[in-house]
Amino acid sequence: MKRLITISLCGILCLCLTPALAQNITVKGTVKDAATGETLIGVSIAVQGTQTGTQTGPDGTYSISAPGNAQLTISYIGYATQTVPVNNQAAINVALKAQSNELQQVVVIGYGTQRRRDVTGAVASVKGEDLAKQPVQTPTQALQGKVSGVQVIGSGQPNSQPQLRIRGTGSVLGGANPLYVVDGVLTDDIRNINNNDILSLDVLKDASAAIYGVRGANGVVIITTRKGKKGAPVVRYDANAGFREVSNLVEMANRDQYISYLQDANPSKLPSDQAPLTTPGTTNWYDAVLRKGFQTNHNLSVSGGSDNATYFVSGNYLKDNGVVTTNNFDRFTLRSNLEIKLADNLTTGTQLSLSRANERPAPLGDVYSSVYRAAPIITPIDENGKYGNTSAWGNVGNPLLNINKVNNQTVNNRLLGNAYLEYKPVKSLTLRTAFNTDAFWNKQRNYNYRYLNDANTFNVAGGNQQIINSSLLVQNDQSLRTVWDNTATFQKDFGSHSLTVLAGFTREYLKTDLFSGSRIGVPESEDLWYLDQGNPESQATYINNGSKFTRQSFLGRVNYSYAGKYLFSASFRADGSSRFVDKYGYFPTVGAGWIISQENFLKDNSLISNLKLRASYGQLGNDNIDQGLYIVTGTPNIPYFFNNTLALGTIIQDIKDPNLKWERTNQLDIGLEYGLFNNKLTGEIDYYDKKVKDALTPVSIPAILGDPDGIYVTNAASYRNRGWEFSAKWTDKVGDWSYSIGGNINYNKNEVIGLNGGQALNGGGVGGQGAITRTDNGQPIASYYVLQATGIFQNQAQIDAAPTYNLNGETKRIGGLIYADISGPNGVPDGVVDTYDRDFSGSYQPKFYGGFNASVSYKAWDLSADFYGNWGNKIYNGKKGFRYDPNDNIEAGYASKRWTPTNASNTDPITITQNTPASTYFIESGAFLRLNNLTLGYTIPTEVLKKIKMSRIRVYASSQNLFTAKRFSGFTPEILTTDILSSGIELNGYPVTRTFTFGVNVEF
Amino acid sequence: MIMKTSYKNLAFIAFTAAMVGTVSSCKDYLDVAPQAQITEEQIISDPNVATNLVTGVYNIFFAGDAFGNDVRGFQYAVLGDIASDDADKGSSPNDYGDALQLDNLTANGNNGVVNNIWRGYYQAIARSNQALDKLQNAQFDEAAKNKLIGEVRFLRGMFYFNLVRIFGGVPLVNRVPAASEANSPEFSTKATAEQVYEFIISDLTFAVANLPDKSGTDVGRATKGAAQSLLAKVYLYNKNYQQAYDLSQAVITSGAYGLYADFTTLFRETGNNSIESIFEIQAGKNTACNAAIDRFTITQGPRAGGRYGWSDLGYGFNNPSESLINEFEANDVRRNATVIFIRPTTGNTSSGTVLYDGFRIPSQDSVQNERYNYKAFYSRYSESNCANFDRLPKHVQVIRYAEVLLIHAEAAFQLGNAGASLTDINLIRERAKVTPLTAITLNAIWHERRMEMAMEQDRFFDLVRQDAVQPGRAAAAFTAHGKTWNARNKVFPIPQAQIDLSGGNLKQNEGY
Repeated sequence: MKRLITISLCGILCLCLTPALAQNITVKGTVKDAATGETLIGVSIAVQGTQTGTQTGPDGTYSISAPGNAQLTISYIGYATQTVPVNNQAAINVALKAQSNELQQVVVIGYGTQRRRDVTGAVASVKGEDLAKQPVQTPTQALQGKVSGVQVIGSGQPNSQPQLRIRGTGSVLGGANPLYVVDGVLTDDIRNINNNDILSLDVLKDASAAIYGVRGANGVVIITTRKGKKGAPVVRYDANAGFREVSNLVEMANRDQYISYLQDANPSKLPSDQAPLTTPGTTNWYDAVLRKGFQTNHNLSVSGGSDNATYFVSGNYLKDNGVVTTNNFDRFTLRSNLEIKLADNLTTGTQLSLSRANERPAPLGDVYSSVYRAAPIITPIDENGKYGNTSAWGNVGNPLLNINKVNNQTVNNRLLGNAYLEYKPVKSLTLRTAFNTDAFWNKQRNYNYRYLNDANTFNVAGGNQQIINSSLLVQNDQSLRTVWDNTATFQKDFGSHSLTVLAGFTREYLKTDLFSGSRIGVPESEDLWYLDQGNPESQATYINNGSKFTRQSFLGRVNYSYAGKYLFSASFRADGSSRFVDKYGYFPTVGAGWIISQENFLKDNSLISNLKLRASYGQLGNDNIDQGLYIVTGTPNIPYFFNNTLALGTIIQDIKDPNLKWERTNQLDIGLEYGLFNNKLTGEIDYYDKKVKDALTPVSIPAILGDPDGIYVTNAASYRNRGWEFSAKWTDKVGDWSYSIGGNINYNKNEVIGLNGGQALNGGGVGGQGAITRTDNGQPIASYYVLQATGIFQNQAQIDAAPTYNLNGETKRIGGLIYADISGPNGVPDGVVDTYDRDFSGSYQPKFYGGFNASVSYKAWDLSADFYGNWGNKIYNGKKGFRYDPNDNIEAGYASKRWTPTNASNTDPITITQNTPASTYFIESGAFLRLNNLTLGYTIPTEVLKKIKMSRIRVYASSQNLFTAKRFSGFTPEILTTDILSSGIELNGYPVTRTFTFGVNVEF
Repeated sequence: MIMKTSYKNLAFIAFTAAMVGTVSSCKDYLDVAPQAQITEEQIISDPNVATNLVTGVYNIFFAGDAFGNDVRGFQYAVLGDIASDDADKGSSPNDYGDALQLDNLTANGNNGVVNNIWRGYYQAIARSNQALDKLQNAQFDEAAKNKLIGEVRFLRGMFYFNLVRIFGGVPLVNRVPAASEANSPEFSTKATAEQVYEFIISDLTFAVANLPDKSGTDVGRATKGAAQSLLAKVYLYNKNYQQAYDLSQAVITSGAYGLYADFTTLFRETGNNSIESIFEIQAGKNTACNAAIDRFTITQGPRAGGRYGWSDLGYGFNNPSESLINEFEANDVRRNATVIFIRPTTGNTSSGTVLYDGFRIPSQDSVQNERYNYKAFYSRYSESNCANFDRLPKHVQVIRYAEVLLIHAEAAFQLGNAGASLTDINLIRERAKVTPLTAITLNAIWHERRMEMAMEQDRFFDLVRQDAVQPGRAAAAFTAHGKTWNARNKVFPIPQAQIDLSGGNLKQNEGY
C-alpha cells in the first residue's frame, strides 16, 4: 500500500514539475462570441496538459499564468472549443464560434457522462434554461412538447405531478411512470425541484435505460443541478408574478333550459315543488367557487469558487393560489451544491436540496362533480350568509358550502441530495462513492366543520346535506430512501481506440411509516384542532403502518469507439429486489453507432455536416409493486361481539401468487441523427419496438377461493409499443435577426399482445354505467368498450322496428338513443341490444403527439412560442353520463341540442338518466393543439449594464396556455388519472388554467 | 503532503470498507418481511390463533358490503324479501336495476346481486375453512377444540344451507385450496343439491354433538340449541319430518328458550338476545364504529321524495307488498310491528307517521314510497349508536324460537300429530293477539309462518319449499303479487362472471 501511494505521489510531483521547466508569463485577453461580438462570461481557459485553469469574469476578460510555449484550451458550453498557442504573447483575444449541433454537449447517461456524438442510445437532452423559461411548477410540465417520444399530461391544479409516458404505456399495474434520477438520487417525484436549479435534463428513452435495470422499463429522466464555477461570485435573481384563470369552462344550462329539461327528466318534480322557482335568476356555480389565482416565483442564486472549492447556493420561493376559492400552495426550496478539492486527485462534494411546501388543497372530487350537477335555480349563498339548499330540492349538496366547511392543510418537507467522494489513483481511473438520500416527512390536517340542514345554515331547512359531527384527521407520513452508489470508471484512449469501462455496485433501502388518527366532535376553533380535543369513544381511529424494501445491484458498462466514427457500447445490470421470491434479475443491453459523416466520402460534403446511424437492443425491468404481494398475510383485530363485549378476531383470506416476478421489457431502437447545411438543420429519426412480457396484471379468480375482491396479481400479460419519432430544428441568423424553428412528432401504436389466455381487464367505472374500458388482445390498453349509439328514435315506427333492449333500465323511447345490435351470445346479431353489443371504440392513447417551438430575437428583443398537441385519441365524457339524480343540471350545449318534439335531433337524446348505458354517445375526440407558452423579452443593452455594473437584465411577459384548439367539449383534453385502466375518462378533473406573468432576470 | 496522504488513506479505507461491508451482508440484505402485515406463519405461532380465527369467521357478517359481497345484509334481503311476494324493490322506480330484475323474476346470470351473494358466501366459507385448517393443528384441550370446530361447522353449515337454497347445487369447497387449484374440476364443478345437503347435515350434526347449551357459552356464539334448530330447518327442507320434529322437540323441551312476550319490541334494541333468540347476528359500538352489518338498516330506511324537505332515514328499498298487507288478520299486532305505513297527504292537516322513537315522517307527498320494513329499522335517537348511520348496530335474528315452533308445528302436522301442531300455532297467535284457531291445516301453518316471519329474508326460500310440498303454490302466490312465476325461479341464476372464470366447469342453472 505504502508503495502505491509513493508511486502516485511521484506521479503528482512529476505533473507539477513538468511545466516548471519553461518560463511562465501572464497572458490576458477577452473572449467574445464570434458572431455577436458579445463578451462571454465563465469561459474556461486551461493550459493544455496541466491542471492550471481559469475562467473569464463578468466583463469577459481573463488572466492566466502559462509557459510561453504552452497551448491554451478555451472551452464554453454551446461553443466549439479552441486551442491557441501562447507563443510568448501577453494578450490573446479569442472569438468563440457558437455550436448549433450540440455534438460536443455532454450527455448524462446514468453513472457517467458521454459526449453526445459518442452516444449509441436514444437520449434526449433539454437545457435547464429552457425549462426555467416557463412559469410552471415542475420540470416535467416544462418538458411538454420539448422532446420527442415523451408525452406529458398536465393539470392546472397547484402541486400536481404531471404524468409522463415515454414511448407509450407499457404496464397496467407496475406503474407506467418513468424513473427520475436527480444528481444520482432515484425518486418517483420531482415536485420539490426548483426549475432554476437545473443545469440539464436528459431522458433515456431506449434500452440505454437498462443501466437502471429493474426500474428502467418506463424510461429514465436524469436531472443534473448546477454547480459553481471558479471565479468571482455570480449573483442571479429571477422573479415573476402573475395570475392564473380557468381556460376552458363548460357552459352549463341556464334557468330556462334547466326547467325545460326537468319537464322531460322528472315530470312530477315541478308540479309538486314550486318553492325555489320564486327566486329569479340563474346561478353560475362555477363563478361561485372559482377565481383568478395569484402566483409568484422568486429565485436567488449565488455561485462561484476558488481553486479548491466551488459553490452554488440558491433559494426559491413559489406561491401559487389555485383557481378554486379556498385553494393555495406555496413552496420554499434551498439548494447547496459544493465541491471541495481535497487533493489533486481527491474530490468531495455535496448536492443537497431542502424543500418545504404548504398546501390547502381543494376538495376536488366532490366539488367539481357537485358544481357540474348543481341546479341553476338555487342561490349559492344569500345576502344573509345563508346557503341555498340544493339537496332539499332533490339535488346534490351545495358545493360552495362543501368547500367552505372543509379546512385541509398539508405540509411536505423533503430533503434530497448526496454526498460523494471521488478519487483518481491514476489519471485513467476514477473511483467514486456516493451516498444519496431522499427523505420526506409530511403532515396533513383535515378538519370538517359541523353544520346541520337547518335554518342556521340554509335559507330553507331540509335536505340531506349536513355534517352531524365535526371531524379531525391528523396524519404524519415519513419516508427515507437511501441509495449508496460505488463506481469505478476507467477511461483511456489508445491511438484511435477510445475505451470507457464502468463497474459499480449499488444498494437501495426504503422505509416508510404512516401514522394517522381521527376523531369526531373536535371544537371549531383552529387552536383546538388536536386529536385530544375530540371524542375518544366514538368513531375514533388510529392507523399506523409502513413498508420497507431493499434493492441491491451490480452494474457494468463498456463504451468503445474507433477512429471517432465506429461506436460500440454494452451494459449489464444484475438487480436484486426484496419484492420477489426469486430475488435477482439480469438486464443486458448492447448498442452500436456509425458516424457516417466522418467517413471520407462525406467529410467535405457541403450539404451533410453530420450523419450518425445508431441502434440499441436490451432488456429492462419493472418491479414497481407493493412489498409482500407474494406472501400470504392476515388481518388482526377485526371486531365481533360476544356477551355484548367486543372480541377481536383474525382472518387470512387474500390469495397471493407465490411465484411473482418483475415485468420484462425488450426494446429495440434504431436511430438516425442528422445535421444539414452546416448544421443549420439538425434532428433525429427513431424507430422503436418495445415489448413487455410477464406484465403484472390483476387476474380475476373464481370466488370459490374466497378472496374478498376475487382478484390476485400475477405475471400474465404482454404489451407492445411500436413507433416512430421525428425531430428537426432549423437555426439561423440574418443580420440582427436570429431565429430557430424546431419540432417533433411521434407516432406510437400500443397493443395488448397476450392476456393470460384471453381474460380481458375491465376498468374505469362511471357511476351506474359500470366498466367503460376493456384491455384485451389486439387493442390498446384501456380501450373504450361500449354500445354503439347510431341515432335518436324519432317516432314509434322506428321503435317498433328496432331490436329489443335488455339494458338494465334503459328503454326504447321517442327521443331516446338508438343502439346498434352488432352481436349476441353466439357472435351474431340476435335482435336484442345487450352487453354483447359493446364494441371497442378507441382509447385515450394518442396515435400522434408532439410539439413545435419557434423563437426569434432581434437586437435586445426575444420572442418565443411553444406548441403541444396530440391527435388520434378519444375521451370519454364521463361526467355527462354520471347522473345519480334526475334533478342534476346539464350542459348548455346539450340543452340546446337535445331532442325535443320541436327539435328533431339525431345526435342528442331527450334526457340522460342514470340508466343511460355507456355508449359511443359519450365518446369525443381528444385531439388538441395548444400554445403552451408565449414569451416576449427585452434585454437591457450591455452598454447600459456596464454603467450600473450589472451583467444581465432582462424583463419579460409570458403566458402559459394562451389558447387551445380542441374538439372535446369538456374542461380539458388532458385527463390525469392514476389508474391506468381509467385513462381518458373525464369525471371531475381540475381544469387546465391559463397563466399570465411578468418577470425579470438579473445577473451581476 | 502529509495531509494529502491521510486523505488518500481515508479514501482507501472508505472504498475498502464499502466493498467489505457489502460482501459480508449481501445474502440477507434482500430478505425483507412485509411491514405492518402479519404473515400466515406469524399467525400460526400465536397461541390465541384458534379463538381469533373463529371470531374472524363470525366477523364475515360485518365484512359484507350493502352493494357488494354480502352474506346477511342488504343483498341477502334483495333475494329473501324483494324477490319474494312479501316485498317490492322500493326506492325511486329506476334506482338499482339489478334489484328490479330480481323483484320482477327476470334476472339472469349477469345480475350483480347473485354475484355479490356468491362471492360473499364463498368468502365466508373460505374463512371457515382457514379456521378449521388451523384448528386441526392447534394443540389444546380436545373439548374446547371441538367446541370451536363445532362453532365453525355450524356457521359453514348455515352458509351452505343459504347457498343451496339460493342456487341449488353449488361447488363444495371443504378445505383451503391453493391458488393453482382455482380451476380444478374438484372445486369449480357443481355438486348436486343432495350432496350439498349431505355436507350441511354432517356439519350441523357435528355441531349438535359438540356445542354446549346456551348457558355454557358466550351470548352470540353458536350453541347446541342453534345447531339443533338449524338442522331441524334443514330436515324440513328435505321433507324429513321425523328428524325435523325430533330436533325441534329437543329445542322446545330444553326449556332454554321461549316466546318473548311483546312482539312489538322484539326487533328493537330491547329485544336483543332475548329468551326467543336462538342464533342472532351481534353488533355493537366499538371505537371505529364499524361493528355492524354494512347499511343493513339505512338501505331499508324511509326515503324522501316528491316535495322532499326533510332529513330522511335511508335509501327506501324493500317495501312490504300489498299482497303481504292483505294477508294480515284484523288486530294482528305483527302488522304494525312489521310495516311502517306512510300516511296519505290530507292538505295542511296531514299528520304524517310518528315512529316509536318520536321521529315524524311526513305524509306521502314528501316520501318516496308508501311502506317500509319496521323490522329492519333502528332508531338513531333512542337506541344506542355512535352516529355512523351506515353501521347502526342492528342485530339480525337468524333463528328464533317462534320459527322452531313453526317447524315443530309443520313437522308434527305432516307426521299426523295435528294436536301438537295446533298448540304450537296458537302459542304464536296468542302473542300476536289474534284469535286462536280451533282446527289446523297446512295452509294455516304456512299463513302463520308468513305473518310471523314477514320481512325477515326467509319468505322466498320458504315459498319455494312449500311449492315442492304443494305444487302450484309459488305460482299462485306470485300471481297474487302481480308477478309471473316460472319453474326456473325455484333457484337463482349462477353468476355468469363465475361461469366465465371456471374454465367451462361451472354450468348455468336450468332455464337461465
